[in-house]
Amino acid sequence: MLDQLREELGFNDPILVRYANWVGDVLQGDLGESYFTEQKTWDAIRVALPKTIELAILAQLIALGIAIPAAITSVRNPGGVVDRMTSAIAFGFLSIPGFVLAVYLVALFAVRLDWFPAIATDIPGLNDDPIENLRQMLLPALALGINLVAVYLRLLRTDLLTTMQQDFVMLAQARGYSERRVLYRHVLRPSSLSLITSVGLNTGGLIGGVLIIESIFAIPGMGRLLVQSIFGEDFEVVQGLVLLFSAAFVLVNFAVDMFYSVVDPRIRRGSAS
Amino acid sequence: MAAPAESTRPKLGVVTWLALLWMALVILGTLLAPILPIADPQELGIRTRERERFEGPGWNAWFGADRSGRDLFSLMLHGGRPSLLLALVVTVFSATIGGIIGVVAGYLRGRVDSVIMALTDMALAFPGLILVAALTGTLGREVWVLILGFTVLGLPPYIRIVRGVSLAISEREFVEAAEAMGASRLQILRREILPLAVLPVIAFAFLGFALVIAAEGGLAFIGLSLDQDTWGTLTAEGAREIQEAPHLALIPATIMFLTILALNLISDRLSELRAPGGREGTGGPDEFPEPALPTDPDLLTISELRTQLVTERGVVKAVDGVDLRVREGTTLGVVGESGSGKTMLLRSILGAFPLVDARRSGRIDLDGRDLLTVDDATRRTILGTEIGVVSQNPLSALNPVRTIGSQITEPMRVHRKMSKDAAKTRALELLDQVGIPEPEKRFAQYPHELSGGMRQRVTIAIALANEPRLLLADEPTTALDVTIQDQILKLLQQLQDEREMAVVLVTHDLAVVRGWADDVAVMYAGQVVETGPAAAVFDAPKMRYTEALLESTPRLDEDVEQLATIEGQPPSLIEPPAGCRFVARCAYAQDRCRDEAPPLVAADDPGHRYACWYPVGHPDAVRHETEVSL
Repeated sequence: MLDQLREELGFNDPILVRYANWVGDVLQGDLGESYFTEQKTWDAIRVALPKTIELAILAQLIALGIAIPAAITSVRNPGGVVDRMTSAIAFGFLSIPGFVLAVYLVALFAVRLDWFPAIATDIPGLNDDPIENLRQMLLPALALGINLVAVYLRLLRTDLLTTMQQDFVMLAQARGYSERRVLYRHVLRPSSLSLITSVGLNTGGLIGGVLIIESIFAIPGMGRLLVQSIFGEDFEVVQGLVLLFSAAFVLVNFAVDMFYSVVDPRIRRGSAS
Repeated sequence: MAAPAESTRPKLGVVTWLALLWMALVILGTLLAPILPIADPQELGIRTRERERFEGPGWNAWFGADRSGRDLFSLMLHGGRPSLLLALVVTVFSATIGGIIGVVAGYLRGRVDSVIMALTDMALAFPGLILVAALTGTLGREVWVLILGFTVLGLPPYIRIVRGVSLAISEREFVEAAEAMGASRLQILRREILPLAVLPVIAFAFLGFALVIAAEGGLAFIGLSLDQDTWGTLTAEGAREIQEAPHLALIPATIMFLTILALNLISDRLSELRAPGGREGTGGPDEFPEPALPTDPDLLTISELRTQLVTERGVVKAVDGVDLRVREGTTLGVVGESGSGKTMLLRSILGAFPLVDARRSGRIDLDGRDLLTVDDATRRTILGTEIGVVSQNPLSALNPVRTIGSQITEPMRVHRKMSKDAAKTRALELLDQVGIPEPEKRFAQYPHELSGGMRQRVTIAIALANEPRLLLADEPTTALDVTIQDQILKLLQQLQDEREMAVVLVTHDLAVVRGWADDVAVMYAGQVVETGPAAAVFDAPKMRYTEALLESTPRLDEDVEQLATIEGQPPSLIEPPAGCRFVARCAYAQDRCRDEAPPLVAADDPGHRYACWYPVGHPDAVRHETEVSL
């Protein structure tokens, strides 16, 4: 019985043969199946992936949504009260681990105020019931994105200050454009290039955070699937997931490179001149 | 003996002291946990009389008790031992191993370095927690597995820091010299690299320590941390009871947060110590004198203009009491060395000081409206429609991420509310007028696709977009090739004639001013020292600085054996000299020049004024060698 199962699962083949078989299967789009449930790895991923993608995108949106206005406000008067307060808060955000924030958020908003659920239960799709979906996803996304707020804020602040030393900003002021126009049309876009790179690079860091946050909030996403598979020693699934995480990482960075060239014309047309 | 060193040591500040205090408490508490008079962490049964399931924080148990009645305070002190020990071991290991790899990379350079750095970059981008999770998942939740995983993940920053230091050092000459003198590489390492690497490595080590504590906590939430009570596992277990007893998660989480925050603060402070140079604030600017009323309604009249820049080193008196006048349709040349305040004068007219705290006083009247006192909207309209600006460096004068077209049409769309199409038609005309071939093609291009000369033409086109009556040009040709310089100058002159614009031309090139300007103002150290019709100033200079400036400029119509140079530097504008500001460099200076500032006085020829006690032709003027040397 055991021997038969071993033969069936290919455990008797030499390791290189098993690896070659796995690579061959992957190239044909087959990530194998769970040893236990015989559920195809793909099927498990198909359910889990949308939740994780939503979580990651929400976290990035929250981080950018806080960091960009905060950076803009703080460079209006560099070294001023607002700037120093923002920097201090950013320092705190940088120091707080996601799970600590998760504990705080749950204790306040779920237990004390009961606005949000402490753990996710049967999350509806974003299209089916956006309000309930966001109600369940908001706290996890916030816990996941909090460190990034500080990372992006510091980066953008430095870049904004660098851009503002350029002549074209002085000239924009000298042409009598409003402060708003100078800031948004002339300063912000040239300053956003390293921010975009950073968004891509930090997606890798988010994948680590997803593991923890999904476990805390019981979100049935890729991170939780990976953790469950590790615990279940379901290595066929673990293999498939790690591969997918790596592929996603490469893909996001590629996408960032593409987007980068949209924002910066100097890259789009090559450096011919 | 150590006393003098004490006084120069930078202060740590209250926050850093608090952070150090907290760390001392944490370390002492966890170290002494077994001998402190606290409850046994594994002892069960703290219960309240009401037989509630969870004991809250209070006198009975400071941090409360968990489900089985174990004392949380005691658990945290004991649980800190594995957490902190793990972080300490990992930090020491990664710092040592990373340091060695970093030295190897930085010292050997070449291919070894490239390979190491490529691996480091990859490791930095890789989601490390997945690696550690996979390790503990397969190899078991053992201490050595965590140490191995975290150490490997912790290496890259130390490698980078130490590599940077050794790279910089190994390139320096004294290392080569030491090598030549037979010092072994190990000696060089100990004497030169180690002292420089120690502080940055220690600064980062605090951060790395904090990262390990946080990562252990994260792993605990996945259930893959150590199989004992650590800070992480206590927090994670507490989080499961958060509905009934929030304190079980909140207290451990807060202690972890405070510890991580304290470590980050210490690390931050240590890395600041690396870069010496105290920043001291300065007092406010001087009182501004009341400006005098303007007398003549010319196009542009500047009276008693003062601009003070508040910087960290002090208040810079960049423009210090300037009176100038620009007549309709004429050109005023403003000349002087770099740092004489010419550019600041133009910026002061425009009020364009990004990132600089600039305070202006006096009057800047354009057609009777004072730019310093009109309301913001009016000021912006005047700037946008009546004044055009051309700056020095065409490479940074255009926004790199916007098309030429959008930048030319912008002033017309903003200030004249022109439609997109109308603005485009007009922009194409402008591009044609400033001599840009194929305007339609250039319209859609980006600045980096144009040469420096073309970009300067674009800047001029933008400046002319709203038909200004006054053009301010700041060294418009300095950054360009010599052949292009001439073309741009001719273009500017031609445009001025066609449009009857007044021009303020700032330049250090006297030849340009001589050929173009109607009037001249010579600036030195933030003040106008001589002004008048170009012919008068150039042919019969009065002020000694003007004279020296002219002597240092080649003239085509005269044979000069050797060009004179003006020795020395302009004075500091934070605390300018009390008397004449040129005194230290002047070959004719006498005692009076040091004590009394010369006022601008009228010369014999009309409109010509100068500020000098012993001007050219003065009977008491005596030339002597200046004491200034290079």
